[in-house]
Amino acid sequence: MTTTVPTPSYRPLEGSYDEMLDEAGRPREHWAHLSGALTELGLEELIRRRQEAARLIDQDGVVYNAYEGSSRPGRRWLLDPVPTVVSSRDWEALETGLIERAELLNLVLEDLYGERELLRRGLLPPEIVLGHPGLLRQCDQIRLPGPQQLFSYAADIGRDPDGQPVVLSDRAQAPSGFGYALEARAVISRVFPTLYRDAQVHRLAPFFRSLRVALQRVAPAGIEDPRVVVLTPGPWNETAFEHAFLASTLGYPLVEGADLTVRGGAVWMRSLGRLEPVHVVLRRVDASFCDPLELRPYSQLGVPGLVEATRRGSVSVVNTLGASVLENPALMAFLPRLCKHLLGGPLRLPSVPTWWCGEVQARRQVLANLAGLVLRPVSREAAATAVFGAELSQRELDDLRRRIESSPSAWVGQAPISLACAPTLTDAGLEPRRSVLRAFAVPRGDSYAVMPGGLTRVADGGNKRISSQSGAISKDTWVLASEPERLTGFWLESGPAVEGIDPMTSIPSRAAENMWWLGRYAERAEAITRLVRVVYERRSDFQGSDNAPGIEALRALLVALTRTTAAYPGFVGQDAEERLSSPGRELLDLVVDDQRSGGLAHCVRALLGCAYAVRDQLSSDTWLVVGSLDREILELRGPVHDPQAVVQERLQRVMQSLLALGGLGSESMVRDLGWRFMDAGRRIERALQLLALLRATVTEAGGTATDSLLFESVLKATESIITYRRRYRSHAQLETMLDLLLLDEGNPRSLAYGLARLSADLDSIPAHSERRMREEQQLLLRATTALRLADTGALVSHDARGARPGLEAFFDELHEQLSRTADAVDRTHFAHLLPQWSLVGAAGSGSSHGGIAR
Amino acid sequence: MSTTYRVTHRTEYRYESDVSDSYAQLHLLPRDGDGQHCLTAEVAVEPAPGDYRERADYFGNRVGYLAIHEPHRRLSVTATSLVETGDRAAPVTLFGGRPWEDARDAVRDPALPARLDAVQFALDSALVAGSPAYAGYALRSFTPRRSLLEAVTDLCSRIHHDFDYRPGSTSVTTPLEEVFANRRGVCQDFAHFGIACLRSIGLPARYVSGYLETDPPPGRPKLIGADGSHAWFSILAGEAGWVDVDPTNDQLAGGRYVVTAYGRDYGDVAPLSGVIYTEGRTESLQVRVDVVAVPG
Repeated sequence: MTTTVPTPSYRPLEGSYDEMLDEAGRPREHWAHLSGALTELGLEELIRRRQEAARLIDQDGVVYNAYEGSSRPGRRWLLDPVPTVVSSRDWEALETGLIERAELLNLVLEDLYGERELLRRGLLPPEIVLGHPGLLRQCDQIRLPGPQQLFSYAADIGRDPDGQPVVLSDRAQAPSGFGYALEARAVISRVFPTLYRDAQVHRLAPFFRSLRVALQRVAPAGIEDPRVVVLTPGPWNETAFEHAFLASTLGYPLVEGADLTVRGGAVWMRSLGRLEPVHVVLRRVDASFCDPLELRPYSQLGVPGLVEATRRGSVSVVNTLGASVLENPALMAFLPRLCKHLLGGPLRLPSVPTWWCGEVQARRQVLANLAGLVLRPVSREAAATAVFGAELSQRELDDLRRRIESSPSAWVGQAPISLACAPTLTDAGLEPRRSVLRAFAVPRGDSYAVMPGGLTRVADGGNKRISSQSGAISKDTWVLASEPERLTGFWLESGPAVEGIDPMTSIPSRAAENMWWLGRYAERAEAITRLVRVVYERRSDFQGSDNAPGIEALRALLVALTRTTAAYPGFVGQDAEERLSSPGRELLDLVVDDQRSGGLAHCVRALLGCAYAVRDQLSSDTWLVVGSLDREILELRGPVHDPQAVVQERLQRVMQSLLALGGLGSESMVRDLGWRFMDAGRRIERALQLLALLRATVTEAGGTATDSLLFESVLKATESIITYRRRYRSHAQLETMLDLLLLDEGNPRSLAYGLARLSADLDSIPAHSERRMREEQQLLLRATTALRLADTGALVSHDARGARPGLEAFFDELHEQLSRTADAVDRTHFAHLLPQWSLVGAAGSGSSHGGIAR
Repeated sequence: MSTTYRVTHRTEYRYESDVSDSYAQLHLLPRDGDGQHCLTAEVAVEPAPGDYRERADYFGNRVGYLAIHEPHRRLSVTATSLVETGDRAAPVTLFGGRPWEDARDAVRDPALPARLDAVQFALDSALVAGSPAYAGYALRSFTPRRSLLEAVTDLCSRIHHDFDYRPGSTSVTTPLEEVFANRRGVCQDFAHFGIACLRSIGLPARYVSGYLETDPPPGRPKLIGADGSHAWFSILAGEAGWVDVDPTNDQLAGGRYVVTAYGRDYGDVAPLSGVIYTEGRTESLQVRVDVVAVPG
């Protein structure tokens, strides 16, 4: 056994247990392998591995969004490369304790929503339960099929100075973290492949298999092949990454409240053009927000009627609505008693010593020792959080005492625990940081399966509080296996084969809508970028020069830019002259101002919004690109010394990301329904952009020199200049240019090509009606026919004043047909939810508008 | 002495534009028991709902659930029932002239049959939380060792006297602090305030939603709140049971009162609440209540 200390500077913290080193400063037996390896690697290499981990995390697009609804990008999830190691013996005890605790809490939950014997018999003071906001009386007597009423359970576990595990809090609302735990494992096993392989670490896959089986089993009786969905509050929730990750790992649709509806007492998913039944909802929305009819009336995150559907047993919502009544810390004071009563023995995995102030004796004890305790309100919904008595001044202590005395049953006092430390990498080497393990359990058989490991989190610096919101750092948790494990993948051995959901028939209609707009915004952003690039080039060529045709072409392009982006007034209208002669400011605005509708930054923001909303539909590589786009858009606004040069360079980077996104779309995505909508969105947007650009540039003849410059710019902006030159070997001429851009089916940027692809996309969307052709298909056919019949030779002719009315009408007609096609796609396939309102009754007699009887 | 009433409660919403879906929850059907007997009760909804169900809620109230999935611009809900009411004064007699502290201390007595109810209704709820200010107001009536009946009657009179009954001065979302500060509101506010006073000094109190006889027999005054749904509060007199008190009309609620539901506060028993989907606004809301004694 090695006796070297991993990094010479590492010193355990006085007065707390150290995960890695024993009292004598030697690595504990189960750490020997890892600490030896860390020493061998050395600080520099560890820091390099940390960068590698950060890179992988970026690549997977893992963020912890701490600011809902802000336009700031998500905060990066922090992962320490050094895992925490748990010996197989320690783990066995912990696992047994966790299973027992889950079973105990399950029985408590069952009783609280059933017979309430525990309250009646005084085993649990009724004030604790009846006054807790987690008790949803609306959900009284509602049961899940099967033995477990508590579905998933998590516990935050610390070690006291003797190394004994202590539960700091129980989580039962909708415990988060197991997705992050899986991600931590995925990253660390790639960063330390050899180390991980040699360490014989318990795999996580079996836990997710248990979860999947449990979700199937919890379905209402008689449902053979239940449809499961993951309910998320939306892409801006702080743990949105995990929701999408869970959905895609488990293979279930990710839905928001508005994607579901209750009809006939059952839950349905708004799928494309129809409703599909839903049997199990894995919810990540807090219960009180889940049903605006019976719970919080103004919640826009829920489904009206959801409680009624669970009441009728047509759907199983897990965790059950109301399970958070178990998150009450006051319960901890009574768990030993409840364990004895319900399970017939002592509680094996203890809680942090807790005194509930509703009991006279306990209250006295707490008030006598206020400065030495941690005080917590029993409800997590209460505005106040845990208070460390030791941190308070005398006045604050007196104030706290008064608050406790005025509503004692709302408070608990808990013993502060000097938490164990785990070695954590800093720039200066390994440092001991206080750590907490979040462990997870899900039903298996009539008991529970525990994830071997979990998500360890360590405090950021000297912080006493460990939570992701306060900047905690996560760690992988290695539970050592006593013998080598058989390797099994997540999808292997999952019991009876469950038929997959056909990717061509099932997608929430909101997801389809977001994919469609993702395609449209991506294409629009490309079009704006290309055109702005061309404008900048022409500007470098001619601004301030006396080349009249050049200046005229530049002005025509500026006007076209405003027309195609519809970012009026821009270079059009009364005051346009000033901006036309000095266009720098307006151009910059159009690129960087994300509040400017029609501009590039605004468009990319919208694109990102769509991408985040359909996280589960996109390939994991997509996040590499989405992440860089997110940063590039922020950088666009950065300080600028030489606007044009800098902006051109930044535009180049944005363009690269957009192209990469396009490449991923065509090379790395399955041609499922989501892809079809994205591609259709791209096609229609490209067609509309092309028609708008041509309409704005070629419907009036200018001088030969001007037109030549202008046509060349149009060919550049449509990415067709090289093809044109190769094919026609001449200066750009209108008729040949139109042939190439409109009719040439071999040119992937031509209108004809795009419409053919669009038609294929629309044809592949399943029809749920009898009609042979849907409205959007008919409209598209009309546009395609008009295009095929076009006689470019006749269209390009112009009248004496240079106008080309025929061409103008032709562009307008096509643009109109295609806009109507887009509208028809929207009407036919996407759910059009009207705004949700609360129906408020008359308030007593006073505010009724009613007349008097008779 | 018992009277039978026919209660008709009609609520009608009119909307500016189509409502695609409506979901609603109704507390419109009278309870059975506690001094009244509900002979018949039914709900008629227009347009016909795609789904309608009745059940008992946590408090034993009758709740209706309805869902409509056809576009509509009008929703009307009419509840009709026949209820026989008797004398509600029994608990008062049973509790006798005992001091109010007995009722307070009974909450802590594990032998109290309705102990869970006693605890639950003594605790703060979402809309009604006790405070030192309310306790101060209450203690002027609840002087040491005063009989419960005297004390609660006095509190009821003071609320009636101190507060202005002013329809339209508050809405269902007006916080209780504001009602207390302005000393005005409607029956629901007075009920909430009474409950807050009682909870502040440790007494269990619940919110009662129901009706009053619309047209009194000749020679008796028409009561306030008779032309809509009404609300009052109820106090737990130890093992004797609940005593209903109506601060709006300054009296104990007797045989001329019909109870539809009780709960911790209005939020538990709103007569009609729901969720609708529409682009436009609600044009009008009309409520019409009729409580008529029918010849036995």
